[in-house]
Amino acid sequence: MNSQDKKPGFLSRRNFFKLIGGTGVAGAAAITAGCSKAPAGGTGWLPQQYHTASHWPVQVKGRVPIDISNPSIARDDRKCILCGQCIEVCKNTQTVFGYYDLPLKNDIICTHCGQCAMWCPTAAITERDDVNKVVKALDDKNTFVVVQTAPATRIALGEEFGLSLGSNVEGRQVAALKKLGFDAVFDTGFTADLTIMEEASELIKRLKEKTTLPQFTSCCPGWVKFCEYYYPDFIPHLSTAKSPQQMLGTLTKTYYAEIKGINPNNIISVAIMPCTAKKFEAQRPEMATNRNLRDVDIVLTTREIARLIKMRGLDITTLEEAQYDNLLGESSGAGMIFAATGGVTEAAVRTAHYLATNEPPPEPLLSFTAVRGLKGVKEASIEIPGLGHLNVAVCHGLKNARIILDKLRSGEASWDFIEVMACDGGCIGGGGQPRTALPPSDKVRTSRIAGIYNIDKKDRTRLSYENEEIQLVYKNFLVRPLSDIAEELLHTHYSDRSEHLITKKNYSLNEGDSNS
Amino acid sequence: MKVILIAKAVLVDITKCIGCGSCSVACKLWNDLEFDDSRPTVGVEAQLNDVNWTAVQRHDVQSKDSPQALWRFVKQQCLHCLEPACASACFSKALQRNDSGAVVYYPDLCVGCRYCMIACPFNIPKYEWKKTFPLVTKCQMCSTKTASGEAPACVSVCPTMALKYGERSALLKEARQLVNTNHLYIKEIYGEYEVGGTSWLYISDVPFEQLGFKTDVGTKPLPSYTHNFLKYTPFLAIGWGMFLTGLSFYTKRRNKITSQKQADDDNKETTSRKSESTEETNNENL
Repeated sequence: MNSQDKKPGFLSRRNFFKLIGGTGVAGAAAITAGCSKAPAGGTGWLPQQYHTASHWPVQVKGRVPIDISNPSIARDDRKCILCGQCIEVCKNTQTVFGYYDLPLKNDIICTHCGQCAMWCPTAAITERDDVNKVVKALDDKNTFVVVQTAPATRIALGEEFGLSLGSNVEGRQVAALKKLGFDAVFDTGFTADLTIMEEASELIKRLKEKTTLPQFTSCCPGWVKFCEYYYPDFIPHLSTAKSPQQMLGTLTKTYYAEIKGINPNNIISVAIMPCTAKKFEAQRPEMATNRNLRDVDIVLTTREIARLIKMRGLDITTLEEAQYDNLLGESSGAGMIFAATGGVTEAAVRTAHYLATNEPPPEPLLSFTAVRGLKGVKEASIEIPGLGHLNVAVCHGLKNARIILDKLRSGEASWDFIEVMACDGGCIGGGGQPRTALPPSDKVRTSRIAGIYNIDKKDRTRLSYENEEIQLVYKNFLVRPLSDIAEELLHTHYSDRSEHLITKKNYSLNEGDSNS
Repeated sequence: MKVILIAKAVLVDITKCIGCGSCSVACKLWNDLEFDDSRPTVGVEAQLNDVNWTAVQRHDVQSKDSPQALWRFVKQQCLHCLEPACASACFSKALQRNDSGAVVYYPDLCVGCRYCMIACPFNIPKYEWKKTFPLVTKCQMCSTKTASGEAPACVSVCPTMALKYGERSALLKEARQLVNTNHLYIKEIYGEYEVGGTSWLYISDVPFEQLGFKTDVGTKPLPSYTHNFLKYTPFLAIGWGMFLTGLSFYTKRRNKITSQKQADDDNKETTSRKSESTEETNNENL
């Protein structure tokens, strides 16, 4: 006590504690505020391919542009890992991305084929989800909800429920749709037969008049838009026949509504498709023939209907098989094979033979192997009495379409009838099908194709013109193929979209890669 | 001002941008930023904010050649000025331009005054208004990534090569040659001279003012307006402090002398209590 009393001014006990305490607080504040000098950001990750010195190019990178208003596909940025797979398929299989010169004009070039959704490893790219629209329509008691199922969904839907590749779930799919509450279930195979009647008649007409040949199929909306973008000079060659989806939509709101006495305004027309481009097709302004009603209101892909079925707790594998509804529900084997590449050609040739000769096609045309299978470009020549030689070409995957179209443009080759399907393998490999293999594999495609031809082989009739409901619709409503009413309801026109892009002039397609 | 010899830059070719948004995804992946659907990074409504350090804005431009408006996509992010006004305004040195030319934000040094947001001529720095302990955010030009010789995340993922990373002088040379030889481009490089030059350079086929660029920012570096007098701030502060200290000493001493004098006068008056007064004075002195 005495010693402290002697020099109280130098460092009193109070001041000593003040000093220690102050230093501590200042130190704690400095540590909290951080004396570290770490810059912001850089705490995340990037795929390995991007961790290279900047002067080395990375071959697979980035992603395709997708317009926010794209009716077919959508992308969730938080799932995108910039792996570049969408570009891989869009550019190298479909020859869409990178086949226009920059700058852009006023469109994000997209054929809506949905192959990017099939290749996307994280499912960041998906179909635009319209399930809720259908749920709402089904819940509305004032509407009559009609549904149609494409040929290709029945041999793929089972995969979503654990069935083996290519299992045919036609009857169980119908049963599931009826359980979901759809008021009528129709088969797009029926209008596939109708498409054949119209398209084959159109072909015969063109062959006889020898005008605008070759005739291209027009049932693939991805291909149609591709043609409108890149090959507008061939638009007159596209068959004017609407696609089966649109034909069934039209007939539902005219023929069917009339017979059943339903106000077409109260009909909601739903389509179950293997395809994302069908969503775009249904929205095309020209696809509203009946008093400005949309032919098809909502399109669901195979994946979406599988989700809806699962949402309602239904197990498709345990359902009792059910039948399609009458009037628009019968289909022939010819309608079924639309789902596989070469199928439309085979179906058309069978009926063209009958229309030209009034005789059923010979056995080889019922198993037209030259146009079957996964070869990228297939060619065949057949003799039809009265019409002479018919040269056909079949291709799938838009790169193969380019090969054919470029040959046509340069005059290197000539055909009479050309079938183009945008997706590898045809509709069975469509962008809305179950993501059974990543990327989609030929094993899956082959199994589904086998499933389709199996249906054709076992079908009651394998010829579109023998379809009794087809005969009925012509007798009671459409009169005959290419009649005035058929032209009005079942045929359409196309628009030149080439002004929306600068088409690339110089590119090289490696033909060695053309086989899928 | 610090002179940097090997400044890096990014050259943006607006004619090549297709609006895929790869760059904005890469930015969010690398910087671990939140994805928010209500605040898109690509399209007409795309905007910079605290989670969008880069955004690709679509501008619909009317042109003479086409009846329909043309789409042009403009990638926005910090332009990384050669003489950044934000860094000049920041008194805690939370914003600094590094040796490769990136204007980098150091959150640990930030006091949250937001002077940088007012100082920036391009309205780039954003504030995390929703957070309890908010920070300023902006593009860092991937300073930690480029330090190891890599390109910024956005540049490395661009599928059309619309973005190019390299030495500023080389990119400027390339850009100049391109705009002078290719009739597609307007003969201007945005960022070459704007506010004294920026590390992000743009070339375009559409005049920049139609694409939302600020073209009225002048070519004089913003810090140079204030640097001529603000550079005296430390001297002024220290000088003023010294002046006041001196004044304090002077006043104190004068008071002391006055009170001493007073005490002496009092002593003469009260000689009878001399001993007590002396004691008091001694105590005061202690």
